[in-house]
Amino acid sequence: MALSSFPAPPTFFSALSSNHHRLPSSVKPQFHPLALPKRNLSLFLARSTDRLAAATTVDETLEKKGDPPPLELEEKKPQQHRHHHQVVLDSDGGSAAEARVVQFKDPRWVGGTWDLKQFSKDGKTDWDAVIHAEARRRKWLEDYPEASSNDEPVLFDTSIIPWWAWIKSFHLPEAEKLNGRAAMIGFFMAYFVDSLTGMGLVDQMGNVFCKTLLFLAVMWVLLIRENKDIEKLKNLFEETTLYDKQWQATWQEDASKDSNK
Amino acid sequence: MASLIFTTTSTTAGDYIRSFADLRRQTRLLSGCAASNAQLGRRLPGVVRASRSSPRLNGRKLRVAVVGGGPAGGAAAEALAKGGVETILIERKLDNCKPCGGAIPLCMVDEFGLPLDLIDRRVTKYISMVRREVLDAYLRGRAADAGASVINGLFLRLDQPEGPGGSYKIHYNEYSAGGRGVGERRTEEVDAVVGADGANSRVAKSIGAGEYDYLIAFQERVQIPEVKMEYCKERAEMYVGDDVSPDFYGWVFPKCDHVAVGTGTLTHKTDIKKFQAATRLRAKNKIEGGTIIRFEAHPIPDHPRPRRVLGRVALVGDAAGYVTRCSGEGIYFAAKSGRMCAEAIVKGSENGTRMIDESDLRKYLEKFDRMYWPTFKALDVLKNVFYRSNATREALVEMCADEYVQKMTFDSYLYKRVVPGNPLDDLKLAVNTVASLSESKCLEQ
Repeated sequence: MALSSFPAPPTFFSALSSNHHRLPSSVKPQFHPLALPKRNLSLFLARSTDRLAAATTVDETLEKKGDPPPLELEEKKPQQHRHHHQVVLDSDGGSAAEARVVQFKDPRWVGGTWDLKQFSKDGKTDWDAVIHAEARRRKWLEDYPEASSNDEPVLFDTSIIPWWAWIKSFHLPEAEKLNGRAAMIGFFMAYFVDSLTGMGLVDQMGNVFCKTLLFLAVMWVLLIRENKDIEKLKNLFEETTLYDKQWQATWQEDASKDSNK
Repeated sequence: MASLIFTTTSTTAGDYIRSFADLRRQTRLLSGCAASNAQLGRRLPGVVRASRSSPRLNGRKLRVAVVGGGPAGGAAAEALAKGGVETILIERKLDNCKPCGGAIPLCMVDEFGLPLDLIDRRVTKYISMVRREVLDAYLRGRAADAGASVINGLFLRLDQPEGPGGSYKIHYNEYSAGGRGVGERRTEEVDAVVGADGANSRVAKSIGAGEYDYLIAFQERVQIPEVKMEYCKERAEMYVGDDVSPDFYGWVFPKCDHVAVGTGTLTHKTDIKKFQAATRLRAKNKIEGGTIIRFEAHPIPDHPRPRRVLGRVALVGDAAGYVTRCSGEGIYFAAKSGRMCAEAIVKGSENGTRMIDESDLRKYLEKFDRMYWPTFKALDVLKNVFYRSNATREALVEMCADEYVQKMTFDSYLYKRVVPGNPLDDLKLAVNTVASLSESKCLEQ
């Protein structure tokens, strides 16, 4: 249990565990706008024509980048969201905002939160499905940001998902992998030290140096998963002290001036 | 408690630190509070730096020029004039509408005795929204009332004094009242200079203060229909996300009769228009149907300049780089640092009767650093932890819904100190933070 909670700290460093929380391949976040029910798509097209109409009356004096081709392109290929950003800027000239209709819609997302009743499996809530649904929603929002609204606030809080669901889905597989690595490294290190010094496993456990080696091996496995993690860790350390250095700069000068006197 | 930690900067430095390298005359490796405090203490006996032994000024008062008439300059000039120092305040544009969020904490209203009609809007009882042109003019007016002479002029450069007791010569263009045009070249001889001229400070250039990293803040003033303005009146909104800014936030702040919608960034300045569009999108429901009446941009310092004091010239406010990370708050620290610097000058000169020297100005630095370092550092940590990625931002937004967090945040914003709370609640908060960040990370696919 203690080991399974170890993976938690490194997950804060986005530097490190970027690839570590993959969903099982059967549930891939494939939220494609064209996969939306047909009515949404037509709504999207209708609004786009509105935008086109608005665009033609753009106040030229304020923003002067838009021209029709990007707009049409936008209609045909809605998944190019970067283009979409460009279009919002271009067409919006005199008015401060334009319609953007691609909204996150899911039958289980009700009133700003996930309706847990719709996630029941054999009478109990299927937390895995909730986690995956929320992950998909966040990915969707990253690609298609929405306007905030106080009429439909987001009320979902990740803390409603019980701690053991997180552990089962994410931490256990990772813990298994890391423990496996640590075990392999440990085995070979024990063999290596034994062949060099003749100390058996029991003797090694009594030796401070060997215990230090073991500790270092465990820390290495925990913190460094890929080659680039070494650079990232160094950068992270520098980052924590950089601000302090910037504030001390004026005092450094004073100190060195002082020593010259 | 501030901890002054000296570290060597010569080794694994990234690009940021390279700019400091040429200011280092010698790298030192000292560690711990004791060493640095001993250093500062050791200076007094044996080394003639204290102003007590400085010569009395015969027949005249100490003359100080304050360059820049914003909150820092206004506060500094007022405190100097009140302390009996002959003060001139040089401001290039007396009706300047500095592009600014305009949010000031309640403690500023209290500490500086600001009249309530200065404040356009109150967003919760802690944050007040002001128009910079109104606030700046008010503070300058107070300085003038206290005896400072306010000059409409553009500071050009300053000449270093000839000898140790010599005076600084400042060169500026004075604009005649109401007249436009280039203005007349003038020079003044002063004993000390307070550089309060903002992020692009010329005084800082004059003393070789070094560069800092800065953010670009871009803002649009949007006139929205009355109905929507009602909603925005008492609310300030902040939007976080990679679409809005990779290292800052987008905002909607209410002004007197319009709202300011803006965003900022340090690392991706060329994409600022894209971020602004995204901010407008996020605020769509609040500003739809509005018209953009103006847009403006300004740099915001990310950290203090390597050198803030040289001889009898000190930097305050944005010129020194006193802006918090994460929230980008600078008005209060500008005014406070201006006042502290002025008070140090008044004290060191014994109400304008003695000459001052660098050690008096360093006292202001020391006081300011000690008082506000924890706040700045706390916000730096917040930025590093919570502005890293969309996952951490989601965790931040979730944490903000927590009542204890709100209480702690508002209390420290209000008092400008890191206020310790109940240890048990703090522990719960720590656990919740870790959990929130961890869960958010898991959800980030």
